[in-house]
Amino acid sequence: MLMPPFTLHHPTTVDAACELAAELMAAGESFDWVAGGTDLLANYKWHINTKPHVISLARIEGTSTISANELGCMIRLADLTEANGVHPVIVQAASKVASSLIRTNATLGGNLCLDTRCFWYNQGEDWRRSIDWCHKADCGTGADCRVIPNQNTLCVATYQGDIAPTLMVLGASVHLIGPNGARTVPIDAFYQLDGMKKNVLEEGEFLLKVTLPDDAEKRTGSYQKLRVRDTWDFPEAGVAASWIEGDPASLVIATTALESIPRCHPDEVAAIFADGWNGAASVKALSSAMQKSVKPVNNTALPPRYRKSMVRVLTKRAIQGLLE
Amino acid sequence: MIVMSGGYRQQPGGAGKTTRKDGKRVAGKQAFPPPGSGGSNPTMAPRDLDFIPEMVGGKEAQPAGAHVHDRARTGTSVGKPTALVDSNAKVTGQAWYGDDVRLANEVIGKILRSPHHYARIKSIDTSKVEALPGVLAVATGADSPHQFGVLPVTKDEHAMAVEKVRHVGDLVASVAAVDEATAMEALNLFEVEYEVLEPVFDPKKGLEDADEPIHWRGKYHLARTNVQKRVFQEFGDRSLVEKPLASSHGKWKMAGVHHGFTEPHAVVAHWDPNGRLQLYTPQQVPHYTHRALATVLDVPMHQINVIRTFVGGGFGGKSDPFPHEMCAAILARKSGRPVRITFDREEVYWINRGRHPSHIEVKMTADEDARISGFDIDALIDGGGFASFGHVTSYYNGVLATAPYELGSFHYTGARVWTNKPASGAMRGHGAVNTRCAVEVGLDEMSEQMQVDPIDLRLANLLPPHSRTISGFRITSNGMREALEKVREGSEWDNKFRQMPLGKGLGIGCGFFISGSGLPIHWDPNRFPHATVHIQVDMDGGVTVHTGAADIGQGSTTAVAQVVSEVLALPLEMIHVRSHESDTSPVDLGSYSSRVTFMNANAAIRAALEIREQILAAAWEILGYHPNNLVLNDRRIYYKHDPAIGVSYLKALHKAQEDKGALIASGAYRSPPMGGVHKGAAAGLAPAYSFSAYVAEVDVDVETGIIKCTKVWAAHDCGKALNPLAVKGQIIGSCHMGLGQVLSEKMVYGRTGHLQNPNLLEYKIPSVHEMPHVVPIIVESCDPEGPFGAKEAGEGPLLPILPAVVNAVYDAIGIRLRDLPLTPDVVFKGIEKAMKAADVDDPLDLESPRVTHGDLQPILVKRAAEHKLRDQARQRSEDTSQYVNGVLFGFDPNIPLEDQVEGWRTATEPDPEQLAELGLAGKAWLKKEQRHMGGDE
Repeated sequence: MLMPPFTLHHPTTVDAACELAAELMAAGESFDWVAGGTDLLANYKWHINTKPHVISLARIEGTSTISANELGCMIRLADLTEANGVHPVIVQAASKVASSLIRTNATLGGNLCLDTRCFWYNQGEDWRRSIDWCHKADCGTGADCRVIPNQNTLCVATYQGDIAPTLMVLGASVHLIGPNGARTVPIDAFYQLDGMKKNVLEEGEFLLKVTLPDDAEKRTGSYQKLRVRDTWDFPEAGVAASWIEGDPASLVIATTALESIPRCHPDEVAAIFADGWNGAASVKALSSAMQKSVKPVNNTALPPRYRKSMVRVLTKRAIQGLLE
Repeated sequence: MIVMSGGYRQQPGGAGKTTRKDGKRVAGKQAFPPPGSGGSNPTMAPRDLDFIPEMVGGKEAQPAGAHVHDRARTGTSVGKPTALVDSNAKVTGQAWYGDDVRLANEVIGKILRSPHHYARIKSIDTSKVEALPGVLAVATGADSPHQFGVLPVTKDEHAMAVEKVRHVGDLVASVAAVDEATAMEALNLFEVEYEVLEPVFDPKKGLEDADEPIHWRGKYHLARTNVQKRVFQEFGDRSLVEKPLASSHGKWKMAGVHHGFTEPHAVVAHWDPNGRLQLYTPQQVPHYTHRALATVLDVPMHQINVIRTFVGGGFGGKSDPFPHEMCAAILARKSGRPVRITFDREEVYWINRGRHPSHIEVKMTADEDARISGFDIDALIDGGGFASFGHVTSYYNGVLATAPYELGSFHYTGARVWTNKPASGAMRGHGAVNTRCAVEVGLDEMSEQMQVDPIDLRLANLLPPHSRTISGFRITSNGMREALEKVREGSEWDNKFRQMPLGKGLGIGCGFFISGSGLPIHWDPNRFPHATVHIQVDMDGGVTVHTGAADIGQGSTTAVAQVVSEVLALPLEMIHVRSHESDTSPVDLGSYSSRVTFMNANAAIRAALEIREQILAAAWEILGYHPNNLVLNDRRIYYKHDPAIGVSYLKALHKAQEDKGALIASGAYRSPPMGGVHKGAAAGLAPAYSFSAYVAEVDVDVETGIIKCTKVWAAHDCGKALNPLAVKGQIIGSCHMGLGQVLSEKMVYGRTGHLQNPNLLEYKIPSVHEMPHVVPIIVESCDPEGPFGAKEAGEGPLLPILPAVVNAVYDAIGIRLRDLPLTPDVVFKGIEKAMKAADVDDPLDLESPRVTHGDLQPILVKRAAEHKLRDQARQRSEDTSQYVNGVLFGFDPNIPLEDQVEGWRTATEPDPEQLAELGLAGKAWLKKEQRHMGGDE
């Protein structure tokens, strides 16, 4: 499993990284960012959408800040522990990512920018040749989507990160930086409903850090993950919820691993509160509403119908604390 | 006080003591002993009476009676928990696996694989590949037209495709280049023109006639179907199944599973300066590779040396001769350089040889006395693109269900079909696993109908030791009853079964497996032994053992070292096993069918006894006492009534060597003649059988369908545990592997027929989090023909975990699931169905099953108690003539059953009137072979 050759760049400051990106763009060279490498390099070994240049963020100073309100992109997931003052819901999600070995290398930024996944796409080159490629990695053939054939307009690969939904329910923002300057985006506006574009990052831009609002600390909540094995596996469905204790109306719910993006579900929550909060009955109604609101497709280990059904159970378990 | 050194430290006999307080020698201070006084401890250890059988004066209990090898016991190694002799190499990273072999000037081979499921190759243009700088050799199917295959009756593979490719990933061509990058680049330069053919994926479709069958067997081809092998077997009195008291009818769908070994396939081929092929490969069965290489390369076997590297797990997946091994040899011959080929994981899945995806149907009945009046089994198994071991698998799916229970009748139809998928083959528990699961779950269902305890139902229907199954297999030792009793007690079965709250369950499953296939595939067992072992003892006293047994991590090298150490009373460190090279190893069938401990250790004991005799004869000459009066113990031989009169092992050895130099002995093993004469009678025949019983405890999350197996009580009858540590390891490892098949592992073929999960992330092998606490329980029934009483422990322990879990899930949630693996979605679907049936909204309102014992229960308990006494008598009796299946039904064992029971039959082909009622696989019998259709192509 040889990776195709590429040039690895090691900028040491944010400015140098942006400059390097600008230079490569000017020269018409394509490139990828790499942080921990646990997502990108696995794809490279499979020869999936490889680039001639890779810019590493590993040596950029000041990207590993950990505090209650600010998390740098290069934080290793293993370091997202309560001991470091990180919100318990984030810790809960981070500790369920992949395996302990992978978490020592994988980063927060990498997890948020995780490539979308699909069993027609995450395969070796020979394998993808045998299906005559797919829309997401068409190798210049203009191949159709293999999940939903006859619609080669949208990639439906699934976003399977665990941490994004927890940041969404805590109201986090992501800070992006690139040759054209810096900008801050609320995390629920960061993702774009397209398995190929994935998020709002422009070419040359990378995710520098995540900030959390001050009132995030007042929030309590939970992250529920569905997977076949209790380690290694990406989520087959994930539900995060948070609320301010004693105030059910503050509830925010987000899902992941069900569609091409993780997303918040404000409408479903609002509909429940429109009828007034009614304890267990509301939990049940909201769980069913959540189940109806997601549209998984058949491209992960478990069938979509089952994953959809489980959203009800995961939601119920995620917001069980509201009844206490 | 400081003692100054008395001289040059390396000089013998200097000042200071030569031994430390703990008895070990001080480095550089030993008085140079005669070469090899043996071992690191200069003092003889006392005889370890705890490990010498009571029949020969020791303290080791022998509830099953004396054993023929008792007199060879010295209390040295056998029965003691022993770390595997190759464990140091493994834990320090020094073991050399397939890809660790590095020869000077090696080049890298890569394989071009088919992108099509099924296609005819119209042309291959290699000119661009050959023109690429750095490419040293290119090979295609044209380089070797000879067919090979693991079984002589079904040779249907080529080194690279000739005429057709049969599945995505099938080998088309290969290339050797100076480095991997160049070889990969070269693969893109092949220009292959294909004519795509209509593929078959569904094994049911494989039973139908096709325009272009995947293989063509000439006059033996079954019509124009893709049936590779069909089997029909019927024994007993079918009228017994009429008007049953209880019955079970289960239709199962079992997904294909892969061995999931850690080490991907790798091979290095090198034609040495003398023109001989040196082939390094992690093989379970180097000898078959050896044979196939000779055929494919057109070179006599003696010009090939197959070197087995360390094997990073095999489990049956490295027991075929493989096309990539041929490719490496061909490329090396063409390039004149050593060629190394290492697989990616995806390629490992494409070569496969895992367990067959299967449709299995089991009908069973019990009569008014709760006797099992009939098993009716139908197995349609999906063989993929090649035959591999499939001929045998087709039989095993039926015949290995004929024990451990006494049956009124047995009816089996099986068919293996070719499909355009990677080839299925042999995997741990070969052919027996899926049917066993179906049978054990059926018994659970029948016991519920009869309101009896499922363990008591089994205990009252077991075949005794020294008996014969309905199909004619000879059972010798049999620890089934003890295994059932032990797990019942250990799991507190009687206080828990059918009594736990919703979501918690307990289930039982049993197993039965061969301990070495009785028929060597490639030769007549009367003309050449199953296993041969050579032993050589030279002047230094160390013992070199030459064996062809392939240690695949199961510890066969350790087992051989242990038995030699036991017979010669030498510490394990003095036994050196050489088993890697076919040049120095006697021919051995290799590591499959759980044969190694039984056959190889038996051969090793025979060779060691010969050496022992020579050494004792020399001691006789020195001491003047007949060997009958001498004791051999830890590097010393002494007069049994006065231990002071003795001679060291080394002195006796040197005496024995006076006239001939090194002592050399050869020992062999061959199985006794046995079994019936009907077609297929040899399939499933073994010199001994292992038995096991497991109880599994599960937690089922009724809202999600996620099953957690929390604890397993696992009792396995391995005859005699030569190395209890290794046996326990095998039991625990088997639980892990079986749990994978029952809970999460499957080869997923998508709607386009592609294997969707050829990687270890999506092929869900259970992790440490999924692993239950396993309580391994060793049962020792002391097999009369096994080495020191031992039988297999490598495959049989896998069988019971599947039904135990499936039955436990029923106990937990009251749902019978017959679609393996029981992934959460499968379980959830079952739960939804049950909710609908019970008309409840919340799965937490479902009810778990309860049982009240009926009138039959005390009758079974009484019968089981009587049978226990019967079994004990049979086990210890001098007369171990066979008890014939059928005695439970009141038949006379001394008269052939055909003569006393009207309607008793032994058939290997269906009667015309049976054709209408055959099951799925049985439909293969509706077709005729070409030779009976006037076709003789």
